[in-house]
Amino acid sequence: MTAAAAPALKMQRRSLYPGWFYLPAAVVYSVLFLAPTFASLYFSLTRWTLFDATFIGFDNFAQFFREPFLIQGLVNTVIYAVVTSGLKVVIGMALAVMLTSQIMARGYLRSVIFFPVLVSTIGVGMTFTVLMHPTQGMINQALALFGIAGPGWLVDPKLALFSVALVDVWKGVGLATVIYIAGLVAIPKDYYEAARIDGATRLQNFIYVTLPLSRPATATVITLSFIGGLRTFDLIWAMTKGGPGFASDTVASVIYKQYQAGFYGLSTAGNVVLFILIAVLVVPLTMFLNRKQGHE
Amino acid sequence: MAGLELKNIQKTYGKVEVIKGVDLDIEDGEFVVFVGPSGCGKSTLLRMIAGLEDITGGELYIGDKLCNDVEPRDRSIAMVFQSYALYPHMTVYDNVGFGLKLAKTPKDVRDQKIREAARILKMEHLLDRKPGQLSGGQRQRVAIGRAIVRQPEVFLFDEPLSNLDAALRVDTRMEIAKLHADLGATMIYVTHDQVEAMTLADKIVVLDAGVVQQVGSPIELYQRPQNRFVAGFIGSPKMNFVEVAVEAIGPDAITVGSKDVASLRVPAATAGISVGDTLTLGIRPHDLSPANTGAIVGRVAIVERLGNETIVNIELASGTAWLAVLDGDQALRIGESLALAAEPAKAILFDAAGKALLPTPA
Amino acid sequence: MRSRGSIIGGVAAIAATFVVFVIPFLFIILMAFKDKQQSALRDFSWPNGFHLWDNLYEVVKTRNWMMITAFINSSLITVVSVTLLIVLAAMVGFVLARRKTRWNGLIEFLILAGLMIPPAVVPTIWLLQGLKLFGTLHGMILIQVAYNLPFSIILYRAFIATIPRELDEAAVIDGARPLDVFFRIILPLLWPVTVTNIVVQSVGIFNDFTNPLYYLPGNQNATVQLTLYNFQSQFSTAYNLLFTNIMLITIPPLIVFMFFNRQIVAGMTAGAVKG
Ligand SMILES: Nc1ncnc2c1ncn2[C@@H]1O[C@H](COP(=O)(O)OP(=O)(O)OP(=O)(O)O)[C@@H](O)[C@H]1O
Ligand SMILES: [Mg+2]
Repeated sequence: MTAAAAPALKMQRRSLYPGWFYLPAAVVYSVLFLAPTFASLYFSLTRWTLFDATFIGFDNFAQFFREPFLIQGLVNTVIYAVVTSGLKVVIGMALAVMLTSQIMARGYLRSVIFFPVLVSTIGVGMTFTVLMHPTQGMINQALALFGIAGPGWLVDPKLALFSVALVDVWKGVGLATVIYIAGLVAIPKDYYEAARIDGATRLQNFIYVTLPLSRPATATVITLSFIGGLRTFDLIWAMTKGGPGFASDTVASVIYKQYQAGFYGLSTAGNVVLFILIAVLVVPLTMFLNRKQGHE
Repeated sequence: MAGLELKNIQKTYGKVEVIKGVDLDIEDGEFVVFVGPSGCGKSTLLRMIAGLEDITGGELYIGDKLCNDVEPRDRSIAMVFQSYALYPHMTVYDNVGFGLKLAKTPKDVRDQKIREAARILKMEHLLDRKPGQLSGGQRQRVAIGRAIVRQPEVFLFDEPLSNLDAALRVDTRMEIAKLHADLGATMIYVTHDQVEAMTLADKIVVLDAGVVQQVGSPIELYQRPQNRFVAGFIGSPKMNFVEVAVEAIGPDAITVGSKDVASLRVPAATAGISVGDTLTLGIRPHDLSPANTGAIVGRVAIVERLGNETIVNIELASGTAWLAVLDGDQALRIGESLALAAEPAKAILFDAAGKALLPTPA
Repeated sequence: MRSRGSIIGGVAAIAATFVVFVIPFLFIILMAFKDKQQSALRDFSWPNGFHLWDNLYEVVKTRNWMMITAFINSSLITVVSVTLLIVLAAMVGFVLARRKTRWNGLIEFLILAGLMIPPAVVPTIWLLQGLKLFGTLHGMILIQVAYNLPFSIILYRAFIATIPRELDEAAVIDGARPLDVFFRIILPLLWPVTVTNIVVQSVGIFNDFTNPLYYLPGNQNATVQLTLYNFQSQFSTAYNLLFTNIMLITIPPLIVFMFFNRQIVAGMTAGAVKG
């Protein structure tokens, strides 16, 4: 056993955490997600039939910002994301405050609010399409009992997008609520006790303790529902198919429509636009929401 | 059975050198304790022996086998972790038997070995429980049981008692000593508890900043520390130090003094020392006793009366704080002046580099 | 003692949530009991007679028993892709949580990207066609795995970070090889988060509409979400059958909800907070 061999031939022993554990996941993810994402950067610059692609530079994007209905899709997407995430924050927070208080039937309330999260989006969309029918829908019939003439929820071009957004909130607010509940439960009771000793009212309690200390939950809810909102397709497809006209089209529904129409290059450009939109809006948003706070 | 040999073992993390060339011989059946301040590399060294960390440089022999690149399972070692690291989802029986199962030991042999280990550690009644249902001391036993069932040639312990309360720690310490006597296996034990080190070890290895400061028996380290670090680290309370000047050099002794210490003739190696040099004088608190003519005079700052002994904090003329442990109960007043005598034979001188000028043993 | 105010508040909350969240479901159920004529009125009324069995039979046998095929397809896709997801995500989560290398940053970036970036649809179709996976269940399964991996990995990684590393090391000393450590020590300990993963991902994949719409065309490949379009035509929608169908596909999530409510909520909030 001579000393000579050992230091020179330093053989690395096999790691306990084998790198190849990444491999299966990496292959699936790269091939089916990353590769198409990178390919989209090229194909968005082409006129594309799936069999051959003609390079046309930025024409697809130019079209995206020239055609009014495409621009509207872009604007709608942002409106939809802002409205849904805003409402989810406000309502989710309110419901969570309610559900963490000494209210009766908490289990029932929590289940009822959360259950729609698990239900098929298409099912929900179709149900509400029926409920929101301007004359035969249950909502307007109920409003009529109070002498209110209900609006044409899904047929009024000015309203359609917001009606879909409302249904989105109906379906998704349960998730926002449980995230807020998790956040509120994590706030140490000491803060409320200290505030009580200082003579804070309930409202002051909410403004000075609950609101600032539940900011991580708010950040999560906003980020999650904002991204979700920007990407929404299925609910819009189930309820309005982007109509009436193009009134409730979003980028995601435009992508589908262009795909169906065989404009593959344009559809892919839509994908890239959506991708850029998300990057441009969400990255600064999360940085803003998660910025270092003075306390904690 | 196997001893170990470490030749110039080194460990670096990136650019940080954590172990800086350790040479060490461990005899078969020896109980070796690694001590040193926190962060000095004790665990790292132990984990390199176990095979949990790669060895950056040098050679590690277990028995006669070069083990640098040998998998832990082939090193015939077993290890007891500070947190015990019991598998939470397995019963005690399965925890103890996991290694045997992996080694594909036949079921009946396995069963017999597990029960034997349980018998040695008096934990037969715990075999069906999960770790979550055990007390800290019981978990400790299971962790030890898991080690002994594999009949390793070398046992490694990384601060195994630090999560136990004081009383249990004393009991378990004695059990480990007994286990060592019964099994006769080589044991390497990391701790920063002086008492554990002094009572358990055949041989103590003092580490500081990744360098071995001294290796020796507990008494040897206490009586003949090779440098100021070891002198200060071994023994409790800590050895007192003060700077002194060389007044005279005699055969095998140096006379030193300062405004704190009236001339004291200390047996020492004299090579390379000349009159007027500055040295450090070290005297242990237990080696001081009150005497009117004592060489060391200071002002009493704090008195702790324990009944059987009295611990006194005194401030020397230069402002240096010293401790003295005096026999019996001494009613001292704070602020009063106290003269202490030191036994010159037990005092140690250190040169400017901190090396002890130990006299050649008689 | 509850104050009067809080009782009134409680009753108001129960009433409001009942109207907003429960009535739509009652409406679905009532519609499923009606015959075609009555259901065409689309009002909130008691069914004239019991037509649920007829409706169910009709729904199931429509288009040559498409519902049966769809349930089989959806179940197959869900079970296989969730199984794959569990194994692949646990493996990645394990190494990612345990081994710190300079690649970790990139990997975590890719995971976050996967949560945010919408999949590029047409290039994916083109690629699937090239791989002969377009319109096949295999292809659909792999797509579901790829799209849902990031979320599962995040759940696993967070959980594995709480398992002490000394456990791995103890196993190594006991003679475990890397695969033993993973399969015999780590994976069993991951059970709680695995249940969460199974439940959350099953519901998501079972309810998925968009991806099958793009990647799994053709009637013989229908998934349950697509069956909803069987009864909707521009001129006459068979509302009784449509709502029977909606009710039918709401049953699996309802069962999951009743048994795994806690895990779902835990998983969704944990995953969300980490993401
Ligand atoms: N993975 C690592 N990367 C970089 N430095 C490390 C790593 N592990 C340990 N170190 C450093 O190595 C040095 C020795 O650590 P080690 O754990 O061996 O100390 P120790 O003597 O066991 O201390 P303690 O008594 O606190 O357990 C420390 O300074 C530590 O910061
Ligand atoms: Mg240590």
